[in-house]
Amino acid sequence: MKRRQLLLGAVSLMATTALITGCGSTQAAAPTPTEDPSGTITFWSSMAGMDKVAEAFNASQSKIKVTFETIPNGGAGGYAKLSTAITAGNGPDVATIEYPQLPQFVSNGQLQPLDGFINKAETVDKLTDETKALVQFGDATYALPYDAAPMIMWYRKDMLDKAGVGVPKTWQDFEEAGKKLKAVAPEAHLASFNPNEAALTAALSWQAGAKWFGTEGDSWKVGINDEATQKVANYWQKLIDQKIVKVQQSFSDEWSADLASGAVVGVLGANWSATGIQKRTEASGQKGQWIAAEAPNWGSPADAFYGGSSFNITKSSKNPAAAAKFIEFLATSQDAVKARGNTGSAFLAYPGLTPVAQQAFDSSYFGNDIYAVFDKAYASITPGWQWGPNWDITNTALKDAYGKLTSGGKVLDAVDTAQSATVTGLKQNGLSVKE
Amino acid sequence: MVTQAPNTPSAAVKPIPRIPRKPRAMSGTGGRTAALFLTPFFAVFAVAMVAPVIYAMVLSFFAQQKSGLGFGEAKTSFVGLENYLQVLQSETFTGGIGRLALYCLFYIPCMVGGALLFALLMDAAVARARKLFQLLVFLPHAVPGVIAALIWAYLYTPGVSPIVSVLETGGISLNFLDNQMILPSIVNIAVWEWTGYNVIILFTALQAVPREILEAARVDGAGEIRAAISIKLPLILPALSVIMLFTVIGTLQLFTEPSIISKATASVTSTWVPNMWAFDAAFNRHNLNQAAAASIIIALMAAVLSWAVTRFSSRNKA
Repeated sequence: MKRRQLLLGAVSLMATTALITGCGSTQAAAPTPTEDPSGTITFWSSMAGMDKVAEAFNASQSKIKVTFETIPNGGAGGYAKLSTAITAGNGPDVATIEYPQLPQFVSNGQLQPLDGFINKAETVDKLTDETKALVQFGDATYALPYDAAPMIMWYRKDMLDKAGVGVPKTWQDFEEAGKKLKAVAPEAHLASFNPNEAALTAALSWQAGAKWFGTEGDSWKVGINDEATQKVANYWQKLIDQKIVKVQQSFSDEWSADLASGAVVGVLGANWSATGIQKRTEASGQKGQWIAAEAPNWGSPADAFYGGSSFNITKSSKNPAAAAKFIEFLATSQDAVKARGNTGSAFLAYPGLTPVAQQAFDSSYFGNDIYAVFDKAYASITPGWQWGPNWDITNTALKDAYGKLTSGGKVLDAVDTAQSATVTGLKQNGLSVKE
Repeated sequence: MVTQAPNTPSAAVKPIPRIPRKPRAMSGTGGRTAALFLTPFFAVFAVAMVAPVIYAMVLSFFAQQKSGLGFGEAKTSFVGLENYLQVLQSETFTGGIGRLALYCLFYIPCMVGGALLFALLMDAAVARARKLFQLLVFLPHAVPGVIAALIWAYLYTPGVSPIVSVLETGGISLNFLDNQMILPSIVNIAVWEWTGYNVIILFTALQAVPREILEAARVDGAGEIRAAISIKLPLILPALSVIMLFTVIGTLQLFTEPSIISKATASVTSTWVPNMWAFDAAFNRHNLNQAAAASIIIALMAAVLSWAVTRFSSRNKA
């Protein structure tokens, strides 16, 4: 039954994408990847070090010149800028978009399909199915994935030892560990619950087998408060009520201060959290104490992506062939990873790149082999997750509903609110939605 | 942003001594010269103000409708007042208006009362103290709104703020950023920012109060307080009403401070006030038409409130 629905969805997606490509092919016959493109293209990204990557690309060949521009990250208005610019026709040729936002840019007709421009056999075909699912809609590919960010749990090993517990394997272990930690350090929290990160709630639900978005025929199926998510919501509510986790915005001053002081001794994040943890705790002499671990699970190893970006060719690009050459370099070349240098503990989707990133990153701050943990986590990503056609509706609704957590609001109510806000919002855009 | 037009002081003092208007001289050639000088203003005004407003109005009557899964081209269709209905039916939008009303209830008495008190004190003080006082009171206004919000966000954040930790050592545990405290906390930022500015307007108006009237009051035995309440206050009412007008309009445009604070706490949602709602609609939910409708509603509210304020104050004068 389920497989049939998916199949139906895929077929209808193919039909609609065929329609878009039909409408959008003003650039006549798509050039073959073997053609030799040239010209100047622009590239927008908020990721650190991307200017150096663009420089390296310019130095490596003489036909295509890339002009790089740093833009704010998504949370700080980067997507608003990008979306407005593309609509106005003066967007960049190449943009950087995170996976949750990708379908919405596709659905708004702001991106060009890469098929016909990229060498598929050397790029997308080499990716895992879970990653491919994030950038392909129907039979069209709209992005090349850059990083694949498995959700990772970071702990202060010394505090776990003090509490007399090992690294929690399951969520039940995690709760027990939290209680024992409370017993030895009443002021400490095992982790924080981040109301500003709806994508983290999504990752937790994804890990538990939830499917927030899916297609059923010509309709979207929205399940933000599905059974698996309810289980997750009730579990975290329990942790919040017992003060095992602290409700606070991640990346806020409060969070930074609590990590430094030891009021919070764990971070539920991803591979990319390493630099942030190091920066915030280095001055408090916590070197060697932090370890990476697979996120606790519900009984058998499972994980989800939390974050990660992809490279795309926007509708405004007049030179998609040149743009395609550049994003192939960005997403698959070891030279690109080398050029970027040490900008954090990157974990990349394209096979063979992660070892290069690992070499560039100095992980001596951490008490274990963090990349070995990333590898394990990456191998257990739960398949079948899909992002919806307008993530920002859900994102806003969930974040806003979490605002009530400090005055008696419940996590479960928040996911219910997000569900109804998403359904209403999508319907207002004219989309067909089933709950 | 609590925006207020920066050119108010002169407007504030003008109404008091009414100068009879000179009869218009030579309307023939003067008109042409005037037109020449006015053209640049109206050209910019038309491009930067009138055109966007008309465009927003047009946008607000249309909707981008997709169908099915939404991966096809979107159709633009005329929907009449549907966007307006959707905005007004949205709980987050009406909630934002309620929050704004509550904000006014705290903010306007605090700020206007404070400004009035400071202005009267300055008017009564000796000259040297007055200059220093004027500078000190005005200084916060010289800090840009974004910076002010960042500074206060730091001062409010538990674990970081020296204020919070001092209070804690004194046995008072107060979270300025939780759901109950967030509104007063943001009111406090606005009061800190805007009191000084309004003190200057009121003080200028006070300086224009004819000294002979005050002397007469003193001869009649009025002390400083009595003179302030019975003489100065009625005479600066026009300036007060100008302040009220700009404050009300500025309040409707509240945006910067809550947007900045929202990074520090989940208590400030992304649709916390109507302006943030419009921003969210346009740039997060990608529904420009709804955002346009929301903006027009905000503008209409500002128009109605301004009308009410001017109407109320002109009746007071009569």
